[in-house]
Amino acid sequence: MTVEVTEVHLLDVASGEPVAAELWHVITEEQLADWEGEWVPELFRAMQRLRRAGVERAHWPQSRHWDWRRKVAALQGMLANPGFSILCDGVTQGMMIVDTVKHRGRVDGQQGQHLVYVEFVENAPWNRAELFDPPRYRGVGSILIRAAVALSADLEFHGRIGLHSLPQANGFYANTCGMTDLGADPDHEGLRYFEMTPEDAQAFIAKGRSK
Amino acid sequence: MAAKRTMTLNLTEAEMAVLEALSEKRELSKTALLRQALRMYQVIEARLESGNKLFFENEATKEKAEVMML
Repeated sequence: MTVEVTEVHLLDVASGEPVAAELWHVITEEQLADWEGEWVPELFRAMQRLRRAGVERAHWPQSRHWDWRRKVAALQGMLANPGFSILCDGVTQGMMIVDTVKHRGRVDGQQGQHLVYVEFVENAPWNRAELFDPPRYRGVGSILIRAAVALSADLEFHGRIGLHSLPQANGFYANTCGMTDLGADPDHEGLRYFEMTPEDAQAFIAKGRSK
Repeated sequence: MAAKRTMTLNLTEAEMAVLEALSEKRELSKTALLRQALRMYQVIEARLESGNKLFFENEATKEKAEVMML
């Protein structure tokens, strides 16, 4: 299998320096092995720390039940559901699966238009500020969202993307990504729905270039 | 993005008219619209093969109508 790879950079939080990383336009067995062998044990230890510190379950990572092996297996071979992953330091730092057919635009002026819907996106546990102080790398989420925008542009969806956000990530999508918050969606467990219009997408990409 | 292969597509006048109307409505080129249709077709086939049924739901009335796939 030919894997499409794009060079990207993450920020090494400890040194404050950018480090070379790779954006893979696929999720392979290598990433799933990293998830099982690296992410899950680290997440388990982080939750143990939260529990022992008396942190309420509502503040534990909301993606803790996600089974990436099952998700990837269920969507294997589906053109509508490409996966993406970021590798740095020989380990998977983030993964994302999108859907390109089942969702349409909801923002005024974009209703009914095609978009790339982010089904699942997750950062490695050691990159999450709520679990590790300081986190190891920053920039994983932004690179994955930028990949979704680039795919949207490639499919002629003009950069439109949409997603339902876990509460802990609402601020990231609203502020860092500049997405429009359409509020809690009663049809999606009350999660807030965010959408990026073509104009929002241009602004987000331009912001990334200026960094 | 992934390498692409080229094919020729022969359409009737009526099919071409529908393709052009949908492309304009959805702000897509004809190629992009047909690629999207292929992705959607694959999703529907996979769902039907796994025993699911295809429904349309009226957003206002919540009335469901099954799309018969024979």
